[in-house]
Amino acid sequence: MRFLEQVGRSTISWAEDAGALTIQFWAVLRRLSRVMPIVGKKRRWRTAMQQMYAIGASALPMSGIMSLCTGFILALQSASELRRFGALEYVVDLVAVGFTRELGPLITAIAVSGRSASAISAEVGTMVVTEEVDALRVMGLEPVEYTLAPKYLAALITVPCLTVLSTLCGIFAGYLFLAFSIDMTLRVYFQAVAESILLRDIVLTLVKSVVFATIIVHVGCLEGLRVSGGPEGVGRSTTTAVVKSTFLVIVADLAATAVFYLMGWSAVE
Amino acid sequence: MTHSESQNLDDPVISIREVSVSYGSRRVLDEVDLDVHRGEILVLLGGSGSGKTTLLKQVVGLAKPDTGSIRINGVDITSCSRRELTAVRRRIGVAFQAGALFNSLSVEDNVALPLRELTRLADSTIELVVWMKLKAVGLADAARLYPPELSGGMRKRVAVARAWALDPYILVLDEPSAGLDPIVSAGLDELILFLKTAFRVTILVVTHELESAFRIADRIAMLHAGRLIAVDTKEQFQSNSHPWIRRFLDRQPDQVSGGIPEGLMAYLREIQR
Repeated sequence: MRFLEQVGRSTISWAEDAGALTIQFWAVLRRLSRVMPIVGKKRRWRTAMQQMYAIGASALPMSGIMSLCTGFILALQSASELRRFGALEYVVDLVAVGFTRELGPLITAIAVSGRSASAISAEVGTMVVTEEVDALRVMGLEPVEYTLAPKYLAALITVPCLTVLSTLCGIFAGYLFLAFSIDMTLRVYFQAVAESILLRDIVLTLVKSVVFATIIVHVGCLEGLRVSGGPEGVGRSTTTAVVKSTFLVIVADLAATAVFYLMGWSAVE
Repeated sequence: MTHSESQNLDDPVISIREVSVSYGSRRVLDEVDLDVHRGEILVLLGGSGSGKTTLLKQVVGLAKPDTGSIRINGVDITSCSRRELTAVRRRIGVAFQAGALFNSLSVEDNVALPLRELTRLADSTIELVVWMKLKAVGLADAARLYPPELSGGMRKRVAVARAWALDPYILVLDEPSAGLDPIVSAGLDELILFLKTAFRVTILVVTHELESAFRIADRIAMLHAGRLIAVDTKEQFQSNSHPWIRRFLDRQPDQVSGGIPEGLMAYLREIQR
C-alpha cells in the first residue's frame, strides 16, 4: 500500500510539473512578439539584448573550450582504435559528424544549462522572494511578459548561434589533432569535413539547439517562479533547475536522435 | 463614464463582504466584512499569523478568496474580467513590506516604471512626475542611487513613491514601519498623514505596530485568527474590552507560546548567582 501511495504521489507531482510547464510555455509564446524588435516594445527588446549577452555571449568561452576539449578527446580516442586498421583519416568523419549531429548541441546545452538555468532561476526566484513579482502584478504588468519573455527570446536566438560556434570549435580540435599526428593541412581537413556533413545534419542540429534552449530557459524560469520559503528556497531552486534542465536536455537529445534514426535520416552516405 | 466614476462619493472605496480563505483545512480568513471609506486611513491591526497579509493579498487581487466578494469602487474584483482587474489595479498603489524595489533599476527608474509602462506620457513629463514624487517623500537627492545602496527607511519611502506614481486613489501599505527605528518610523507616519491630507488618498495600512497605528489611523480594524474582532475609531478601540485586544494593547504574552516556563526561570536565576 505504501508503495502504491508513493507511486501515485510522484505521478501526480510529475503531472503537475508537466501541466505547469505547458501553461507557462503558452503564456510566454503568446507574449514573445512583444519583445521582438520593431513589432514589440523597444524597452523589452533592450532587456532581451542584455539577456542575450548574459546567456549567450558570456557563455562563449566556456562552451568553446568545452567543445575544443571534447573534440580533442574524441579524436584521440577514435584514433587509437582506427590506427590499428590504418584508417586514421576516418577521424575526420567521426569528429565532424559527431559534432554536428550530437556533441555540438549537447555540449552547448550543458554549458548553458549550468550557467544560465541556475542564473535565471536565481534571478526569478529572488524576485519572487522579495515580492517583486507581486509588485509587477499589482502594477498591472505581467511578469511573464516583463521578465520571462526577454529571457526566452534571448535563449532562442543565442543558443543556436553558440551551438554553431562550439561545433566549429570541436571540429577545429579534430584538425589540431590530425595536423600534429599526420601533418594534415587545414585545406584538406576542411574539404574532408565538408564532404562528410550534409545540409540535413546542420538543420537538425539547429532544430535540436532550439529545443534545448527552450528546455533550459523554461525550466529555469519555472523553478524560479516556484520558489517559496525565502533565500534558502532560491538556493534549492537553482540546484533543481540545473539538474532538471540537464536531465531533460539529455532525454530530449535521445528522443530526437531516436526519431531521426528511425526515419532513416542518420544513415551515413 | 466608467463604472467607478458613477459611484456615489459616500459609498465605501473598498468593500469586503464575507470573505473566507482556507489553506488546506486551515481557515485563514473567516467571513470577513470590512468597508474602507473615501479619504480615510484604515489601519488593519493583527498579530503574526492573524491573516492580515492574506486579506491584503485579496484586496490587491493577488489571490482570490474561496467565497465572498471584494468591491473596489463598485467593481467586484473576485469576479471581474482580467481587463477590469488591470484597470482597477492601476488605481491602487501598493507598497510591499520589504519595498519590492527592482534592484536592477535606479530609484528614479523604479518610480518611473509604472509611468513608462502604463501611460503614454512623454519622457520629460515622466521625469517631472518622478521628481515630484521623490521630493514629496523626501528623497529627491537619492534619485540616482540603486536599491541596495538605500537604508531600510529610504527603501520604504521609495516604495511609497512608486506606489503613488500613477496617483492612485487607494494606497495599500504593508507594514510600513516594521523593522525601522522609531525616528524613521515616525517620519514615515508623517508622510502617510501628509499624503492623506494633501491628496485625499484613501489609505489602507497593515501593521502590528501599535504606536504608529494610533498616530495615523482614522479607524482601526483588528484581525485575530482570521476574524475581524473590532472595527472602531481609535478612541473607541483603545477602550475596547475584548480580551484579545486588551492583551494586544497591554502587550501581555500568550499563555502557550510567550510565557517562560517556571522551571527555566528557576534555572536562569540559579546560573545568575
